[in-house]
Order: sequence, then structure tokens, then C-alpha cells
Amino acid sequence: MLNLDELFVTRKWVGKPVRRDQDIRFIRGEATYVDDLEMECGHVAFLRSIYAHARIKRIDTSKAAALSGVLAVVTGEDVARETRPIVPRAITRPATQYVMAVEKVRYVGEPLVAVVAEDRYLAEDALELIDVEYEPLRPLVEIEDALREDAPLIFEEAGSNELLHEKLEHGNIEAAYREADLFVKERFRLHRYSSTPLENWAIIAKHEKGDDAFVVWANDQQPGRSTTNVCNMLGIPNSGLRLIVPDSGGGFGIKLAIWPYIVILCLLARRTDRAVKWVQTRREHLLAGTHAPDARVEIELALRRDGRILGLSIKDIQNDGSFIHTAGIYGLIKFATMVGCYDIGATRAELVSVVTNKGPTVQNRGVGKPTMIFVLERMVDIAARRVGLDPAEMRFRNFVQPGQMPYSTPSGEIYESGNYPECLRKALSLSGYEEFRKRKEEMREQGRYLGIGMSASIEPGTSNLGYYYTHRGLPEYMGNAEGAIVGVDYDGNVNVLLGSVDEGQGHATTTAQVVADMLGIDPGRVSMSTHLDSLISPFLGHSGCYSNKFNDVDLGAVIMATKKVRDKMLRIASHALGVEAGELTFRNGEICWAKDERRSIAFKEIATVAYKKILLLPEGMEPGLKEIAYYKNPAAKPPSKANFNVQLTHSNSVHMATVEVDVDTGAVTIVKYVIVHDCGTQINPGIVEGMAIGSTVHGIGAVLYEEFVYDENGQLLSTSFMDYLKPLAVGLPRFEVAHVESPCPTTLLGTKAVGEGGAIGSLAALANAVEDALAPFGVKVTSLPITPEKVVRAVRETGEI
Amino acid sequence: MIPKRFEYFCPTSLQEAISLLGTYGEEAKLLAGGQSLLSLLKLRVADPKYLIDLGRIAELAYIREPGACDAAARTDGPEGEIAIGALTTYAAIKGSRLLQGRCPLLPQTAAVVGDVQVRNRGTLGGSLAHADPAGDMPAAVLALRAELKAVGPSGERWIRAEEFFLGTFATALRPDEILTEIRVPVLKAEKAVYLKAARRPSDFALVGVAVCLKLGRDQACEEVAIGVTGVTEKPYRATGVEGRLRGRRLEPKAIEDAASAITLGVEVSESIHASQGYRSHLARVYASRALQAAR
Ligand SMILES: Cc1cc2nc3c(=O)[nH]c(=O)nc-3n(C[C@H](O)[C@H](O)[C@H](O)COP(=O)(O)OP(=O)(O)OC[C@H]3O[C@@H](n4cnc5c(N)ncnc54)[C@H](O)[C@@H]3O)c2cc1C
Repeated sequence: MLNLDELFVTRKWVGKPVRRDQDIRFIRGEATYVDDLEMECGHVAFLRSIYAHARIKRIDTSKAAALSGVLAVVTGEDVARETRPIVPRAITRPATQYVMAVEKVRYVGEPLVAVVAEDRYLAEDALELIDVEYEPLRPLVEIEDALREDAPLIFEEAGSNELLHEKLEHGNIEAAYREADLFVKERFRLHRYSSTPLENWAIIAKHEKGDDAFVVWANDQQPGRSTTNVCNMLGIPNSGLRLIVPDSGGGFGIKLAIWPYIVILCLLARRTDRAVKWVQTRREHLLAGTHAPDARVEIELALRRDGRILGLSIKDIQNDGSFIHTAGIYGLIKFATMVGCYDIGATRAELVSVVTNKGPTVQNRGVGKPTMIFVLERMVDIAARRVGLDPAEMRFRNFVQPGQMPYSTPSGEIYESGNYPECLRKALSLSGYEEFRKRKEEMREQGRYLGIGMSASIEPGTSNLGYYYTHRGLPEYMGNAEGAIVGVDYDGNVNVLLGSVDEGQGHATTTAQVVADMLGIDPGRVSMSTHLDSLISPFLGHSGCYSNKFNDVDLGAVIMATKKVRDKMLRIASHALGVEAGELTFRNGEICWAKDERRSIAFKEIATVAYKKILLLPEGMEPGLKEIAYYKNPAAKPPSKANFNVQLTHSNSVHMATVEVDVDTGAVTIVKYVIVHDCGTQINPGIVEGMAIGSTVHGIGAVLYEEFVYDENGQLLSTSFMDYLKPLAVGLPRFEVAHVESPCPTTLLGTKAVGEGGAIGSLAALANAVEDALAPFGVKVTSLPITPEKVVRAVRETGEI
Repeated sequence: MIPKRFEYFCPTSLQEAISLLGTYGEEAKLLAGGQSLLSLLKLRVADPKYLIDLGRIAELAYIREPGACDAAARTDGPEGEIAIGALTTYAAIKGSRLLQGRCPLLPQTAAVVGDVQVRNRGTLGGSLAHADPAGDMPAAVLALRAELKAVGPSGERWIRAEEFFLGTFATALRPDEILTEIRVPVLKAEKAVYLKAARRPSDFALVGVAVCLKLGRDQACEEVAIGVTGVTEKPYRATGVEGRLRGRRLEPKAIEDAASAITLGVEVSESIHASQGYRSHLARVYASRALQAAR
């Protein structure tokens, strides 16, 4: 962490809830999304598999191709001839998959045929003329189906439906088990859900024949990796692809998987010699636009009688559906922070990734951490009951203490800072924990069932890419970093360009606050293009917006580039004013002599020297006033199985939910919700609060409403927002958000992740609250979502949700 | 929204609409608020060749109390009745002073249909003609014993609400008929309640129960009509429950007892949001609660 008093010229903006004026275009409907780009285009529609698992015997596209206005009809076979197969990141068994279905279909919604037509209506009409003959195979929907002895293989070449099976042990787990007085073991089932951003995927691709190069506009979330993937798959040089990302309406991880469709669109553009456009429909998005995997987790705690947890084992099986690129990575991320906020000396993890005939999975907000914290925090409650402790006390006894920071987990994950007990104490007091327990008893007398539940969670950020190294030798990516260009223009205003993109997080405002304080100007004078152009933007393989890396490496790059610009400005000013640079200060858009402020030069003047009157520059100085910098997080360790860190910052939070359950209808109402959050230094508390609440609502959705339901044939039944239920503003509680600030020593400003946290901690808090409310009925919560029907059944019959 | 190609007509009078419907018959679809039809077009589940938009027919949007002789011509209801044009939106019903004062069940029900956008566009006529098995308004018009006016090339006829809903998306309307008006009696002495169970506030009903109840001396049930939606393939009158209530004092036990007959004789439907068993259970709970609230 830098000394902020030295870094900043003023302390006016960082730390304030500055209004997001830079984002007013979104509110006014003036943003430029891919679909808004006016271009002469052919329009693309996909014929998608109606079977979950089938061999493709024959595809007859002749009638579609003959329809007037149809420009091209391309099958998976055609695509496979012109592309390389998808490269998986984590799985260890061989599996060959192309961007469209070839020979076999593996999920309902898998693209089989692409049609390009003069307009989208015609393209959709053409789909209805395509004849596909399938030979249905046994659909493997649930994990159990895929692991059955006689199950057919989804990827024959893999020899198994388990594409990754990893065992990891850290610390002395044998000893922990020997010392323990008791063991608590449970199995949990987590369902499939996702983020469903407001804007679905959208791509325009154009082939510049003269250069044999593609220009692509897409709402891609990780252009650094996508450009690599697309070039590799098309077998073209890096120079053959220019990727432009305009405004994007939400990402949450789901837009990390858009590149296979970029590959298809490029092929279609080349074939038709036209710009081609595809805008995903909501149905396509829900069906084939990627989910978080469902999972079965077995977890065991080895405890001392006093409640101290000595060892932790999990067996995690995730249903990765049929997208091999990211299959397996959830498990590895879960594993990294499996001890949560607790000082647990030894861990054992068995991680399994299973392919099934469900839809594809990709990183979704929190990537596995919601599952891991859910099972861990459920277990802590269960264990507390076993040893006769209050759940809060159980947590206090096991927390990593502030004095232990930086704390290394058994596997080498480093928690750089944090005060977990303080967060819990604050949450207990804000939620009125003690009074509530009394009120709960009174209400029960009246036949009303209230409950309170808590969870303490780690919210890791900034992926140390390459954590999936374990199996494939050295990974393609390591560490994490980002690039930024900071320039001062003719008018003396600042503009910033990042290698990353923005899906609505407010990066432009946050960046403006930091730069404004570094240069002593108003944030209104700092503009940032959140659009990305791979030809122009500073660029790394890591570039993109994911794993909450913005506050760390993105701003790191901005700060480093701003420092370079600032130094250059000082040298020009020093030369112009005839004053030692060390005696100069920044004031309201000017640089002046500290001893006599009248001796000053405005930014605009400095810019004029740099860009125009270049003969007035100091001897030997380059003209121009624009600097590029790349910044990498210093805490990343290189891959090693014995000692590694998957994430490079670790925020934490405590969630405390109070609910009322109507035991006759099963309805769960959230009465009160408290979030105590620690993301280190806050740059814009308004944005932080929005993130904390927004991500929590995502978790509430996962617990109470959202589920991708498949039938036994692998047909997805929740293909619209009538059936895939998002939480609504109506029906949500008021959130009370409080902060603890433990600055992070390994980021420049002391910041840490914010954006995923609520989606991680809320699952267990709500489940624990529901279990508490239903304690008189002895109901145990071991699965999600908690639907009204499951509640009623548990209360009346099964005793288990 | 990527529907199949269709031809669009926008008549400005009922007569014109009827003649268009006569010309294109089964290949045509009427469009009212579009809140059900547009989703079907979008998913290409419905693919009419001709779309006849009723939206510009001003004469079909009204809420009024017809003159006494007009009313007397059709019903002997002592307290009169209110006529509602088929194109009246949920929002207009919800906000109608006249209805709030003289037939509060309708505004109360309209208020829980969908969300603001849906209520601003969706119409009473569209809701009834669409006959969604989980629509809210059908339950209300059943409990109100409303009468529905259908106009076709050969003139007009009146259909009782009870005889209107035939099945999922199926009504007593003929393909060449337009639903133009809904008449509900003014029931001053009756208490009315609509209660709806839904996963989220703006969702379709898993179960919806509308109750109109008239209590006599000793709090005994003199008259009762119950409309149920969401439970089976079509909205229906819960005559089993009504029968058990008439003449009885509405004590909790009697209500429980009667409510248990709510699914009597119907095949309870199933969806990913409610199994048969859970839906039946909810129907009983909601019937009881609605009766309790109307008492
Ligand atoms: C997000 C959302 C939430 C919803 N939630 C609910 C809810 O909670 N409860 C609920 O009850 N409904 C709900 N709906 C459905 C809504 O109530 C529809 O408005 C209603 O079902 C149809 O009315 P409409 O005027 O929009 O008709 P349209 O959609 O235009 O037409 C529906 C059908 O009725 C026919 N039709 C329309 N008018 C006439 C007429 N006068 N004569 C003959 N035929 C006609 C049309 O040809 C068509 O077949 C919801 C809809 C949406 C989009």
C-alpha cells in the first residue's frame, strides 16, 4: 500500500460517495450497446438442439438455404473444418469439443446450425425449414445419472464422465483428526442458477478482406483472453483480430463465455463477405448462455469439545454440464478459501467435475465461493448446536484473529488483512441479536415463526490466473495485472483508457476520483472511456473485468500511469517556471511554486508546451503528455501444488438475516437484513454500498427464487422470466450496511474486492435463519433453493429442506 | 420480439373489427393489451397471419353505471349493475372511483395483476378472452357472477361467467365474436375478497380465491360465491365449498371444513412452482384465509 498522503495532492474525492455523473448516459438511454451500432449487417439465428443427448444422423439445410433472403447456412461440421477445438483450462481427461455441435448434441440448446439472412425474421423463418434427424441417447441430467456404472459417456474419448478428479491435502489432516473430540458431517445439494444480466450477448463481426482480418464488436467481459482464444481457434495471427467492446449491460461472469460465438460469427462474416450480427434472445440466454454449476458437497469438521475446528474435509462434485473450457474451475476456487474466516490448520479436498447433459457452465458471480461458504457456514451452525454453543460464539472461537494477519491458510492462500470478530460484533449489535431472540420466543406463542441467521464469509478478489495449473503443466496465464493509458489533452483535462471493460460498476467515476486527488483537479475534468479497442487500449492477457480486480490492478495501472504523467508535467513546469521540481505543488489545475503561488502554470499551458510549443520542452524530453503503465499484483505466487494462492485480495463480511416463515404456505419473508462489510479502503462508499446490496439480492434470488429446473430428459423448464424467477424490488427488505475498514497492504490504495460478497455470504445467512425459524419443527436445511413448497413439505413431512 | 410475418390491421370501430374478423376468420387474432399475445407471438407459439388491433376502438373502453331501464331489461338485481368495456385496462379498473365504491372486488383484483406496466396495457376483456388458467380477473368475475357480452356478425349475445371458461385458453366465444362488455352486479350487502398466492408479487397465481359473501342474521352465510383460479385447467366456481357454507355460521371450524372441498372434483395441475399436492394444500389454505377475511 502506498502512503496516501504522499500519493494524493488533495484528499477531496477518494472516500466520498461521489455521484456517478459519468454514467448518466445509461439512465438517459443514450448508451451505445452492440445492438445500437448502425451497420449494414446480415443477421444470424441458431438452430439449437431439442435433445439433451443424441447423435446427429443427418442435417438437411437445403430448404433453408433456398429461402429468398438467406445468405448462408452453416452446420457444426462446417465450423469444425475451419476451426480448432476448444482448449480446456482445468480438466485432466481428453475431451474434444467445437464451438458448435459436431456428430453429437450434448445439451438442449446446443447450437447445431447457424443461418445468416437479410434480417433476423427471415433467419428465424429459415430455421423452421431445417430438418435434423437425431438418434436419441440416454440423457444424463444429474450427477448421479452421469456417475452410474452403465452410464454412456458424454465424451467417449475421455473414458469417463468425470473430467477432473483431484485430491488435495494441506496441513496435517491426520493429526487434526486424531486430536479431535468429535466430527460433524453433512451432505448438501446446491442448485443451478445464474446472473442473467439485463443485456444478453451481442456480437457483430466483419471480415476486412484486404487485410484478411476480423473486426468484432462484442459485449465481452474478458477481451484479454477472448482475443487469444478466438485467434487460436481460427488459426489466425493476433493481428488478424481487432475486438471492440462498447457499453455492456451487465456481466457477472456470464459474458466471459461469449468468445465461442465470436468464432462462429467470424466464420459467417468471412463466408458471406458481410458484417454479421447476432443478438441473443433471453430464451437462448437462459438455455445456453451459461449457468453456475449445481453441486453435491460432503463436508466434515473435526472439532474439539470446546468448539475449535481442527480439520476440514470436503468432497465436492460439480455438475459442469457440457462446456469443457471452464469445467472444473469452480472446485479449485472453492478449495482455495475452504477454511473461510476460520483458523483451521488442516484441510482435505476431493474435487470432481462431472459432465452431464445440462447446459454449459461458466464463472458466475462468486464462482464457487457461494457454494463453499454456504456449506461451511451451515456446518458451523450445525456444529455449534452439537457442542452447545451459540452460533456467534462458535464463530468467535474459530475466527482468524486480527493479530494473525497476514494469515496463510494451509494451502497458501494469504488473507492480507481483516478484523473478523469486529465485523461480527458490529452485526450482532445492528441486528439486535439478543432482543430478537426474546421476541422470537414471544412470537412463537402466537404461532408465528421468526428466525435469525448469520454467516461470516471471505470475498476473494483478483484471481491469480493459473490456479488451474495443477494438471496441464505450466498454465497459459499467471498472476494478475492490467494496463492503463493516462493522458492530459490540449485543454489540460485528463483522459484515461483501460485494458478492462465496465459492465455497470461505475469504473469511470471511481477512476476520476483517484486521478482527481492525484492531480488536484475536479473529477469532472477526468474522463474515461470504458469502451475497449484491442488495437488501441493497453492490453494484457489478463485484461477484462472479472474477479473484482478493478480496485487492485486496474486502478494500480491508472495510478502508475498518472504518476508518470504527473512527473512529466512537473518537469515541464519546473523548466517553464525556473523552479526546482521539488518546490512545486499542484493546485486547482495549476502547478505552482509552493513559496509563491503566483508563480504558476496551468495544465493547459503545460499541455500546449507538450503538444505544440515543443521547442520549449526541457532538453531531451519527448513531446506529448500521455503515459502507459502496466501494474501487477505483487502477492501472486507462481503455481505450485504445495503452496499457492488463487486470489490476491480477501475482503470479508458478516451477514445477518431475520426472517419470518409462514408454515402454512411456506412463504419466507425477510424482515431485516444487516451487512457488515470490510473491503479495505473505500474509494466511493456509494458504489460500495450498491455493490454490497446488489450482490446480496443476487444471493437472495439464489436462495428463494432462482433455479434452472430440468426434467429427467434434460429439457430445461425455466426458459423465461416467468419461470426463472428473479428477485424483485418489491418484497425485498431494507438493508442496513455498515463497514469495517482494514486496508489491504498489498494493493496501492489499500482496497479490496467488492461486488461478489453479498452473493457469497447471503446463502448461508438466509438458510441459517430459516432453520432457526423452523427449529420447533426440527427442520434441517441441506439444499437450496428454499421454495415455499419445500418448506411446507419439510414442516409437515420430511423435516428436511 | 421475432415473430413470424403477419399483416396488421387497426380498425377504429367495433363494426370494422367484426367485419375484419369475419373476413380472415381463424387465421386472424385480435390484439388488445398484448400482454399475453405478444409473448406468444415472440416465441412463435402463436403465428396468426392477420393481427387485428382493437387498441384504437375508443368505444370499447369505459366503466359506467347504465340507466335503470337498461339494467332492468336484463337483470332483476335490485342494486343495479356496472358495465365495463372490454378494452378497459387493469389500471383504469384499479383507479375507478365508481368500482371502488360499488364493486371493490374488481379494483382489488386488478391491483394484484402483474406489475405496473402490465396493468397499464393489459385489459379486462383480454384477460377473460385469453382464459389463462391462472388469470386473476376470471376468479373475480366468477365470484361476481358477471355477464359477458359477445358481438359477432349475427349480432350480440350474453354469456354467464360460469359458462364462459371452457378450458385452458378456451372460452365460449366463437372465432368470429368479440368480447365487448362485462357487467357486474352492484353488491352492497356482500363482502368481497380476492387473495392470491404467488411466488413473487407480480407473478401469476399458484392459487387465487375470490369470495363474495353475504351474511344474514347470526353471522350465518346467506349467500356466497367463490371463484378459483390457478388450481386446474380453467378458473371455476367452488360450488362444493359454497354448498357447505350456505346457511352455516362462519366459525373457524366451519370454514376449515368447507375450504377442504375447494379442489373437489377438479384435476389439480402441476408446474415447476407447485406440485399437485402443494397446490391442493395452498388452495385449502387460501380458501380458508379468503373466507376469514370476508367474514
Ligand atoms: C409480466 C407479466 C405478468 C403478468 N402477470 C399476470 C398476473 O399476475 N395475473 C394475471 O391474471 N395476468 C397476468 N399477466 C397476463 C395479463 O393479465 C394479460 O394482460 C391478459 O392475460 C391479456 O390481456 P390483454 O389485453 O393484454 O390481451 P392480449 O394479450 O392482447 O390478448 C390475449 C388474447 O385474448 C384475445 N382477446 C383480447 N381481447 C379480446 C376481445 N375483446 N375479444 C375477444 N378476444 C380478445 C386475443 O386475441 C388473444 O388471444 C401477466 C402478463 C405479463 C406480461
